[in-house]
Amino acid sequence: MSGIGAAVLVAALVVTAAVAWWLRSRNGALRSASAQEDGAVTGQNAVFERLGVRPAEADLTVVQFSTAFCAPCRTTKARLQQLQATRPGLAYVHVDAESHLDEVRELDVRRTPTLFYLRRDGSLLGRSSGAPRPEELTALVDAHVGAQAGGELA
Amino acid sequence: MVSVPETSPTTSTPPRGVDVRGPRFGAWVTSVVLVVALLTASGLLVALQAVVFAVGAFAGLRYAPYGVVFRLFVAPRLGPVREREAEAPPRFAQLVGLLFAAVGAAGYLLGTPALGAVATGLALVAALLNAATGFCLGCELYLLVRRALPARTLAR
Repeated sequence: MSGIGAAVLVAALVVTAAVAWWLRSRNGALRSASAQEDGAVTGQNAVFERLGVRPAEADLTVVQFSTAFCAPCRTTKARLQQLQATRPGLAYVHVDAESHLDEVRELDVRRTPTLFYLRRDGSLLGRSSGAPRPEELTALVDAHVGAQAGGELA
Repeated sequence: MVSVPETSPTTSTPPRGVDVRGPRFGAWVTSVVLVVALLTASGLLVALQAVVFAVGAFAGLRYAPYGVVFRLFVAPRLGPVREREAEAPPRFAQLVGLLFAAVGAAGYLLGTPALGAVATGLALVAALLNAATGFCLGCELYLLVRRALPARTLAR
């Protein structure tokens, strides 16, 4: 039996457990965008505008960055499209990260899926990376998409 | 109703895709192989695992050895396919596994067992994470690497 091998094996198990725990707690968790400088916000809005995001047209706009090699991106996209179909106040914009690398750098997108949540006034409610749990995503959307009957009346 | 600009459509999903349980099964087998390789410091075993990764990455998951075992012997006992996924993510994961395994095998076989063990250990972390949680480390790191590349080229 190899001593180095056994030591590396133990280390690998510890690292795996730590990463799994980190992912569980971090994936999809909303980080709010309160502590931002004005300049950064203006820059961010310009980036979103370049991507064709029009927050003024919906109560909540969700912008998702994905890559082709990302399986959770696909499930998250399907979930958001489903939510969008039943909630008129929700807009959804899907961005292929690889073909928008400049925007990826400017917004500091590191993992996929990364989601940005924008209010109607264009301000950033927050961002999250990793696939959100379905019930948490639904709750977040419902908390910010007008629960009023405006959709049906219009 | 809000019109949504589709900035860029995702890569077209193949109509069928792979049974999600296949790559998970493969990740468990890979983990066992790598654990045995670490404990016996066997460069040959890591090299064999590298070949398995290479087949999956370059020929496609249809031909990946553990995938074939899964289809022929495991899937028939598990019942019908409940969920399918696109092939691209798990196939890319095989490529990342190949990188680690190739370094690991080279380390062992060329006389630097410490390098061999560390690279094999990293491959094990990726395989175990994938097996236990379905998380794909290579897929996550892909964007980080991709967005760093042109910048690095400029810096040179």
